[in-house]
Amino acid sequence: MTRWKTGVGIVLTALMLFPVYWMVNISLTPADRMRTDPPDLVPLHPTFDGYRRVFAEQLPYLGTSLLVGLATVALTLAVAAPAAFALAKLRPRGTRVVNFALLIAQMVPGIIMALGFYGVYVNLGIVNQVWGLVIADSTIAVPFAVLILTAFMSGIPDELLQAAKIDGAGTLRAFRSIVLPVSRNGLVTAALFTFLWAWSDFVFASTLDGGGTLRPITLGIYKYIGNNNQEWNAIMATAVVASVPAAVLLIIAQRFVAAGVTAGAVKD
Amino acid sequence: MHALERAAPAQPADHDLPGGAKTARRSGPPRNLTAWAFLAPLVVYLLLFYVYPLYRNVDLSLRFYTVRSFIQGGAAFAGLDNYIAVFADPTFFRALGNTLVFTVVSLVFQYGLGLALAVFFDRHFPLSATLRALFLVPWLLPLIVSASTWAWMLNSESGVVNALLGAVGIDQVNWLTSPTWALTSVIIANVWIGVPFNLVILYSGLRAIPPEVHEAASLDGASGWQRFRSITFPLLRPVSAITLLLGLVYTLKVFDIIWIMTKGGPSGASTTLATWSYQLGFGSPVPRFGHGAAVGNLLIVLALVAGLVHIRLQSRREAR
Amino acid sequence: MTRSRLTAGLLALAVTASLAACSSSSPEPGAADGPLTLWDPYPQLAADSDWAKAIEACGSASGVRIERTSHDTTDLTNKVLLAAQQGAAPHVLVVDNPVVSTLAEGGVLATTEDLGLDTAAVEPNLLDAGKLDGKTYGVPIGANTLALYYNKAVLTGAGVDVASIRDWASLTAALDKVKQSGKKGITFSAVGTEEGSFQFLPWFWGSGAQLTDVASADAVSALTLWKDWLDRGYAPNSVIGNTQTTSWQEFATGEYAFAENGTWQLANAAKSGLDVGVLAIPGKSGGTAPAPTGGEFVTVPVQADKSRDATAKAVVTCLTSAENALTTDTALSYVSALPEVQAKQVAAKPELEVWVQAVKAAKGRTGDNLGTKYPRVSEPLWNAVQAALAGTKSPQQALTEAQAASAAK
Repeated sequence: MTRWKTGVGIVLTALMLFPVYWMVNISLTPADRMRTDPPDLVPLHPTFDGYRRVFAEQLPYLGTSLLVGLATVALTLAVAAPAAFALAKLRPRGTRVVNFALLIAQMVPGIIMALGFYGVYVNLGIVNQVWGLVIADSTIAVPFAVLILTAFMSGIPDELLQAAKIDGAGTLRAFRSIVLPVSRNGLVTAALFTFLWAWSDFVFASTLDGGGTLRPITLGIYKYIGNNNQEWNAIMATAVVASVPAAVLLIIAQRFVAAGVTAGAVKD
Repeated sequence: MHALERAAPAQPADHDLPGGAKTARRSGPPRNLTAWAFLAPLVVYLLLFYVYPLYRNVDLSLRFYTVRSFIQGGAAFAGLDNYIAVFADPTFFRALGNTLVFTVVSLVFQYGLGLALAVFFDRHFPLSATLRALFLVPWLLPLIVSASTWAWMLNSESGVVNALLGAVGIDQVNWLTSPTWALTSVIIANVWIGVPFNLVILYSGLRAIPPEVHEAASLDGASGWQRFRSITFPLLRPVSAITLLLGLVYTLKVFDIIWIMTKGGPSGASTTLATWSYQLGFGSPVPRFGHGAAVGNLLIVLALVAGLVHIRLQSRREAR
Repeated sequence: MTRSRLTAGLLALAVTASLAACSSSSPEPGAADGPLTLWDPYPQLAADSDWAKAIEACGSASGVRIERTSHDTTDLTNKVLLAAQQGAAPHVLVVDNPVVSTLAEGGVLATTEDLGLDTAAVEPNLLDAGKLDGKTYGVPIGANTLALYYNKAVLTGAGVDVASIRDWASLTAALDKVKQSGKKGITFSAVGTEEGSFQFLPWFWGSGAQLTDVASADAVSALTLWKDWLDRGYAPNSVIGNTQTTSWQEFATGEYAFAENGTWQLANAAKSGLDVGVLAIPGKSGGTAPAPTGGEFVTVPVQADKSRDATAKAVVTCLTSAENALTTDTALSYVSALPEVQAKQVAAKPELEVWVQAVKAAKGRTGDNLGTKYPRVSEPLWNAVQAALAGTKSPQQALTEAQAASAAK
């Protein structure tokens, strides 16, 4: 019965991913065919030079990006989840002020944030440290994570928390053993985007970690962007190679976005 | 910040909401104290990491900065001169208009397509989870790569889009290099980047709606569309509202995509406030940091207005 | 807190540590005051490249370890501004020449005079690009400029004799023949950045125009030339968004007769498998049009702590010396800034002769008695080119507005 939906789904996904396919196509195209008119719809004369270079040069950057991404997720959720709980369910005086501050925080242009961080980091002597980059990257995600988790947590039925109270659980216990598990969808969503932002950040990486020993993949790509020349098949190949491990992570994470967690918890 | 503090108490008080009120009756630490304990890490975080950059941006916009005074310090106080200069620049109204079009059109399509896809994926079918995850792949690409790929596809001479249009007899469209199409082109690319965001959040929102609600409705004989309109959509409202608000904030801020694809051109046709701000401050051989920061702050004000509208709408709904 | 105070703190720590350890191993050269930092815009040159090796060697020769960091060229400028603001600028900075005057104006760079750097051997027209108010702020590492690459097969197919191309009229006639033969004419970069101005300047100067008056009749004729090429289909519409790399990719397809591009494409031209020749860009009514000089300068940012300046100077002298210039310029596919090295380059690769001549004829962008005003002219100029080519304004109107904009600031 649902076979046709799979078909439609595949077509939609293919449409959506066409630009990604095009990137793969370019990564395999030799420089002299990149601007042929009309373009080659499939790489008729594939070259693997780009990939050869990427595998030789980019793997350490990839490792750093994974590390930075995961660490940023951990930091972001640690700050955002309790705050979102407070904003959604405890609603102290000043909730609106905090919400507003979050909104403004998100509007500060990245380059200005980088400028501020750079000044502070230079004075503390922590430029080019990977954890400095993690802190900076988390600022892209924390306001988002708080707002989105608040939206999800406010959907948790109050009866659920009431029941916990009756069972004698303190607020912290209720948060840990009820709110967090029930907000799994929201947490996964927040984590996903945090990871993706940290993964694709360039401004902070370049400003704060441009000379570090551990540098993320967005800087690795710049190996192929010279002063007068860009080696596009290597650039595209880097993007392709870099998206594979991250895509696997995404697919795994997506499986955690489960149906009816809230409802299930009420019944139990 | 003053505006905020004044705005906050003016709103109806929020402490009489269900969850909170009941907690307060319990013995132990007062509710506000517990709540602020949970909020403390965030507040410390915000103060530590945002206040200084924000202050910087305001300070930059209120002084006459040259490259020399940017580095050596001692820029003279300019009052609102930077803002006045920005308003007087003919680019301002162009950029403002482009920003509004870019933001509104992007949001409508991102949200519309995201919601349609979320509803589509809400019913399980073979491969649904994998396909849904694949929709996020565009987000894994560094923006320089995805924006460059779009520029590649939309190239007037050798782009695949024109090649495909040519196959059905449509003449060459100068997507990125004609003033008529440049804004449309960057909107298309931006919608493409924004759809996964909307899809994922709205999908998670849909999943959080207890299936019993739907079951009850179908027992009542409601059709799919009726169920969506009268049950799903209203229940999705908080998540929708936050998705749109966040989408708005991010869309206002978008600059890399436009910068990489068109540099805001040709001749200002795709310049938005965000690209203009960057161009004034960092993309020009003669940096005008003060003007750039002033435009950046105007963007913050725009987002603030949107935030106020959001809160107003929300409290009106809560009051109902 | 300044960097020097921090360094002093670290130094104290290091001293204490070494005293406590009482280690017998000799410290690294220069370890007492830490490594010398060097920033360059060559992320594409890896740690095992000749450039990186030259840096290492110059470090050893000057008794320090050099810590090299590479940034993308546009990003490097922003990074330097931020670093200089925080008193954390590198000891040695390699930077694109139009940025030198901006940084010098900001007080970031030390003059060669103050450092005691000898620049007598450098070609004066190249050195000019790093001058501000009569003072020099660095040493060019090498130079590049623009010329016309042409595809011999396409020209032969169209019945065009390269020798017949002497001025704009004969070039346009050649483009017409190429178009008649079913091939494409010329590709260049008119993108809305410094690259666009860089590519327009040979035509601008070739018309006899001066940057002090970008709305002159000559200037309008140069922009009209480009505009006509687009209107008649001699040049593709994509030039409005083309970077120099994109434009080169178009030429590499073998469909185009000409490409305006730089010295750095020589290596790619050889790799492309096309039979490619190089022609100096003609002036409006004959002769060679002056092209702008490109390439980076090795500079020394001003430090609060002057104690490292002597070492920095030694490193700059070493990097720009004749021996190192040859390897570096070969790696970057540049023409050397030193006449003696240019001779060696031509001896090794005779096809470089055209480029050496082009570099000799080239003009610094800060020429026309413009000095630091160049950036104030450049941005309005590329905007005018964009507006005219995209058809939003006539060449005359676009350039008149550009002149007003550059005079206003």
